[in-house]
Amino acid sequence: MNAPLYKFGLFGDHVGLLIGFLIGVGFGFFLERAGFGSGNKLARQFYFKDMAVLKVMFSAIVTAMLGVFWLSRVGFMDLSQVYLVPTHLGPQIAGGLMLGAGFVIGGYCPGTSVVAAATGRIDAWIYMVGMFAGMLAVGFFMPGLGDFMASGDLGQTTLSSSWNIPYGLLVAGVVLMAFGAFLAAEWGEVKSGGRTREEQSLLWHRGYSRPRLFVGGAVLLGVGAAAAGTPYRGAELRTSAAELTRIVSREADHIAPRALAERLVEGTQVPRIVDLQLPEEYAAFHLPGAENIPMTDLPAATFTASEPVLLYAADEAQAAQAWVLLKSRGYPAVYTLGGGLAAWKSDVLSPQLPATPVGEALEQARARAALARHFGGQPRGFVDAAAPAVPTPAAVSTLAPGATNAPAAAPKKAKKKEGC
Amino acid sequence: MSTRPEPQPYMNPYLAGLGIGLMLLAAFVTMGRGLGGSSAFATAAGVTVATAAPDFAAGHAYFGEFVDAHPWSEWLVWEVMGVFLGGLLSGLLANRAHLTVEHGPRFTIAKRLALAFIGGTIMAIGAKLASGCTSGQALTGGSLLNAGSWAFMMSMFAAAYGVAWFLRKQWV
Repeated sequence: MNAPLYKFGLFGDHVGLLIGFLIGVGFGFFLERAGFGSGNKLARQFYFKDMAVLKVMFSAIVTAMLGVFWLSRVGFMDLSQVYLVPTHLGPQIAGGLMLGAGFVIGGYCPGTSVVAAATGRIDAWIYMVGMFAGMLAVGFFMPGLGDFMASGDLGQTTLSSSWNIPYGLLVAGVVLMAFGAFLAAEWGEVKSGGRTREEQSLLWHRGYSRPRLFVGGAVLLGVGAAAAGTPYRGAELRTSAAELTRIVSREADHIAPRALAERLVEGTQVPRIVDLQLPEEYAAFHLPGAENIPMTDLPAATFTASEPVLLYAADEAQAAQAWVLLKSRGYPAVYTLGGGLAAWKSDVLSPQLPATPVGEALEQARARAALARHFGGQPRGFVDAAAPAVPTPAAVSTLAPGATNAPAAAPKKAKKKEGC
Repeated sequence: MSTRPEPQPYMNPYLAGLGIGLMLLAAFVTMGRGLGGSSAFATAAGVTVATAAPDFAAGHAYFGEFVDAHPWSEWLVWEVMGVFLGGLLSGLLANRAHLTVEHGPRFTIAKRLALAFIGGTIMAIGAKLASGCTSGQALTGGSLLNAGSWAFMMSMFAAAYGVAWFLRKQWV
């Protein structure tokens, strides 16, 4: 099985929304259990009286980080498919400063305010009204912040890739840092008189306890991560080299231009068509329905595993490189356009047909001529005396809406925001 | 009227964190995305403007994208509704759900509510700048080792400790 399940097509949007609701219930439940429905409890973090925010937050981060690392390491999960909010250092540092200040002023953060409101905190309802007002203010003033919002743009990047430190080593570092922070927090709470030694579960506790088991287990898994290698797929090919060679030699990874053209006309078995050309080349010419993902953007692009993908570029070699990339990331149904765009032009748009075919050959020539005209092309060498007048371009577009090579109006997949 | 039953003690923070971490991990495994908090508010505000003043919104650089928005198809809207229900459930089970205002002993309710409003406003703007809040950036990005999220988290804690002294009367 392949995770993330949604991205590999195991269920659709509606099931996804239901899962989101259920995960939200669990999230809200544990937030309230932790005491985060209380502004007083939350704020005591910043007076060193009660370090629950730090303990809860880093326990959660460590749990999810270790889970993602190990599930990816054993091959269950494709880490590259988990959405990363792109890094923009300028606005993220500024936003972080505002959230920190707003936390102590308002008493909540957005998630905890929902829990506090649910449990009757009137200040949390007022806080939420403030959030709403702030979002309106953002709407009115944000468009003027374009330059700032783009500052410090590092794209989708992890600490591992920007510092060039192995992912597993960073995981270990974060776990050990969290462990140190837990001990310091317990010590600080006792020092500040916020909580007693008896209330602590790591430092002064005697013998076994569930928190000790959890923290100890996390430290072990974290240290193990340092030695476990990369969690990413694609460092080695998922399918064996022999399997790849077999696919290539059988040309089973190809879809011939004419076969594709017929599928497009019938509207059946149409794969997701990806144009690997540069944006300006794409603007000049692309296949109907193709979306533009230039080679350089391909590593960051995500696909649904259940959906067949057809890759093409001007020539076949470039598409073949992209094919290897996607295959190595474990996508089962990846194809290239046989012969590339050149073959599309010579086979579909302006095929060389016999001048005076008879019988069956005449039928074939007619079919191919119709296919060429459907996509706005013109066959060479063949003049069908018996055929009706060549349809005008306008007639073509009414017959087959969207089946032209017009550079504009490429179907853009609405990019859903996945951030907070 | 009977007196309210004693609220139960809070859960051990490490184990509550483990629970939240498992929810976050479940989101990664099922959806390939993390948790959020602030985005539902952005959607609510945007859709409100787009509904109340569609002509204004249609030509607006920010509100324009909410004109054809489908808030009920937004994953984070459902997730946040779940957070509300989950919080309510836990609060009811532990006798912690009742109408009250959270504030320190030396602070009036009126001032507390004013600061709650101001804090909420600042948080919304900050969350929009940072493309995420404590949930979407600190928790989610933190556990994915997202570079920007760690920069965000460090600035958040720094600013919170930086302003805490000035607001001590509100809380302690």
